[in-house]
Amino acid sequence: MPAPPSSPLTVALFAGMAELAGARSVTVAWSGGSVADLRRELGVAHPKLIPLLERSAVAVAGQYATDTQPVAAGSEVAIIPPVSGG
Amino acid sequence: MSSESPQPAMLVRRPVDGQRLLARVADQDAGANILFVGTTRRTTGSERTEGLDYEAHEPMAAAALERLAVEALERFALTSCAIEHRLGWVPAGEASIAVALSSPHRRAAFAAVEWLMERIKAEVPIWKCAAGEDGSREWVHPGDMRGVAADPAAPGGSP
Repeated sequence: MPAPPSSPLTVALFAGMAELAGARSVTVAWSGGSVADLRRELGVAHPKLIPLLERSAVAVAGQYATDTQPVAAGSEVAIIPPVSGG
Repeated sequence: MSSESPQPAMLVRRPVDGQRLLARVADQDAGANILFVGTTRRTTGSERTEGLDYEAHEPMAAAALERLAVEALERFALTSCAIEHRLGWVPAGEASIAVALSSPHRRAAFAAVEWLMERIKAEVPIWKCAAGEDGSREWVHPGDMRGVAADPAAPGGSP
């Protein structure tokens, strides 16, 4: 069976995450899946993000998402590392 | 003034004006008015901080602050509530956040300030980069955000 078609998914990065990646966003090839799948894909594509990624939340369309939530192609996705406002 | 913003919560890139915020929540039905101002601390342990550089996921942070202000109004039966968080460079000694609120009674007002600050520090997507006097620069990422999205379907979650 051919692999499902994939399209680039842009993931916004902030603070220490952006510093680790050396960029404000990274792009992963995305053929659909859950937030947990996206975490795995990101870790494979950008291994140096893993330690902070494991303590980060994922936001989809401006809302914190659970690991089981699906991520549609073209979604607005951001990694939210532990916050330190106030 | 007619240009006064009606928004209960704002992200700003200028010095926080606590007195203006306090004036905004004034109400004849309030018996208690509190202004909390969080400032950049110079000394933490043996570290000397020159200032903090704040950044945010701005749309999410603005929406989260506004939601928390509205939730505090209901939860503590406040008369009024306003929050300002500064972004960008905040030199030591200057304010990074101000929370102003008014309430018929003192106890609810104090409790609301504490509740708001706890929630803001735990879940609003704002980060600080600490700039040391020794030239060091370090993003502050305490704890773990994995639990911030409550999953009602998860075992032990609410039905």
